[in-house]
Amino acid sequence: MSHSAVEVLWSRNESPTVKTLAFKWDQEVLPGQFVMVWTPGIGEIPMSLSSLGEIKTITVKDFGPPSAAIISTNPGNKLYIRGPYGNHFTRTDGKKLVIGAGSGMASLAPLVDKNTYGIISAREKSEIILTGNFDQGKVMVTTDDGSMGFKGNTIEALKVFDAKVDMIYVCGPEKMLFAVYNYLKDRGIRAEFSLERSMKCGIGICDSCSIDGFQLCRDGPVFSIDQLGSMKEFGVSRLTYSGKRIQM
Amino acid sequence: MTDLAVMAAGIKLENPLILASGILDENGYTMRRVLQEGAAAVVTKSIGTAERPGYKTPVVVDLPDGNLLNAVGLSNPGIKDFGGEIRIALEANKPVIGSIFGSSPEEYGELAHSMQLYGAAAVELNLSCPHVNGTGLEMGSDPEMVEAIVNAVKNRVSIPVLAKLSPNVSNMLEIAYSCSKANSIVVINTIKGMAIDINARKPVLSNYYGGLSGKAVKYVGLRYVYEIKKETGFDVIGVGGISNAEDVVEYMMAGASAVQIGTAVGRYGRGIFSAISHDLALLAERLKVDRISDLKGAAL
Repeated sequence: MSHSAVEVLWSRNESPTVKTLAFKWDQEVLPGQFVMVWTPGIGEIPMSLSSLGEIKTITVKDFGPPSAAIISTNPGNKLYIRGPYGNHFTRTDGKKLVIGAGSGMASLAPLVDKNTYGIISAREKSEIILTGNFDQGKVMVTTDDGSMGFKGNTIEALKVFDAKVDMIYVCGPEKMLFAVYNYLKDRGIRAEFSLERSMKCGIGICDSCSIDGFQLCRDGPVFSIDQLGSMKEFGVSRLTYSGKRIQM
Repeated sequence: MTDLAVMAAGIKLENPLILASGILDENGYTMRRVLQEGAAAVVTKSIGTAERPGYKTPVVVDLPDGNLLNAVGLSNPGIKDFGGEIRIALEANKPVIGSIFGSSPEEYGELAHSMQLYGAAAVELNLSCPHVNGTGLEMGSDPEMVEAIVNAVKNRVSIPVLAKLSPNVSNMLEIAYSCSKANSIVVINTIKGMAIDINARKPVLSNYYGGLSGKAVKYVGLRYVYEIKKETGFDVIGVGGISNAEDVVEYMMAGASAVQIGTAVGRYGRGIFSAISHDLALLAERLKVDRISDLKGAAL
């Protein structure tokens, strides 16, 4: 499919390094699915949507030329997107916990309702986003350097989290996902994880984003805790942009 | 029940369906899964001597009607770091064919030798890379260069050698004849093309130009398989726009001993290999043959 040109309606700073951009796109997107966002002349990257109504948003952290170009797209100018791609989180009406690290919180945002608790973690305060999406008292913030919320990591926050939930949704760097997986695996809780790996094509062709023979862009990016349990690459190794295997 | 087994380039395959180079074949676990899910063999992503990041994104354009344009740019980890992926793929106990690209006959020879050491069942020569001397031509458009590469590789390895030829030439038969020492000729590689986005007013691929594959190129592929088989009699493996059992049979009737599938894997998923195998058996019954290989060359 060719790219849809969508006009940026407004943008909002979520933190000094993260920005949300809104656009109208007449396309059904499910929570956890992603789009490829192209900036002509600069590059194309996968982005989760952080809200899914008639007005949709992407929440972008500046970590390279393509994301910087998206962030600097002013209202009135165009984004070029294709998708949506990938599978999605399983919605549940019960109580749920979302665990988001860094910009991983963006793909979890559409799941947040009055029944949702949150653990949001990042290296430091400037990377903490979307805390305002949760009801008062339902979100716990942790930073590696203690500049906001608890000083410590996601697992330490999980250890003190004591509400009973029916489902846990997790998104962030694979190292964090692996730690959460190991903490949860014998506790009998339903959990789904959205993975991030180097992605080029988005359509199940190039093999860049694969894990254990599954393509994140097609079979994922969301995998259940049981699926992850059978994967040899999860938390262990991945391929770089060139295709070279590196240890996590 | 129809026997789907074929011999191609001297390799016995449980069915005629091979994963084409460049699709789902840089991660060993993926190749292993594609084999376990029904492909008879896989061809790896093209591997060179040194690590290459390839082009920046966009590297693909998902075109309408089952077509695709790509310019991935020969991204690869370099031959030294690829042995591990082949070892993982080989756990499926099926043939893994190592695709290689280089800039001289000697380099192709070295790469092929490494592939043989890694356990590859054959090597496929990707001859569509630019000439080192800067002529801008592909190595594959120069019959003398192609012959030198094929001969250098044949001298270096004992496994079968497949020469994958580019259709972006004016002298295909001459080039095919220059591959007389190869065990099989693979046609066709992608056809050069480009895509423009009318809203952005720009080419979509970061490299501007790419290779066209998918349904649109099937009839070009069929023609070259037929012509090369008819004129040279060499073993030919067909590739280009195959997405169902009828396509496979057309290629086999044109003279192909086996086929490769690439673009359609993106459209229909990895399950396409088992789906086509299933349909192929039914189609062979309808065509009243006991062995799919009986259809080879039927249209010649």
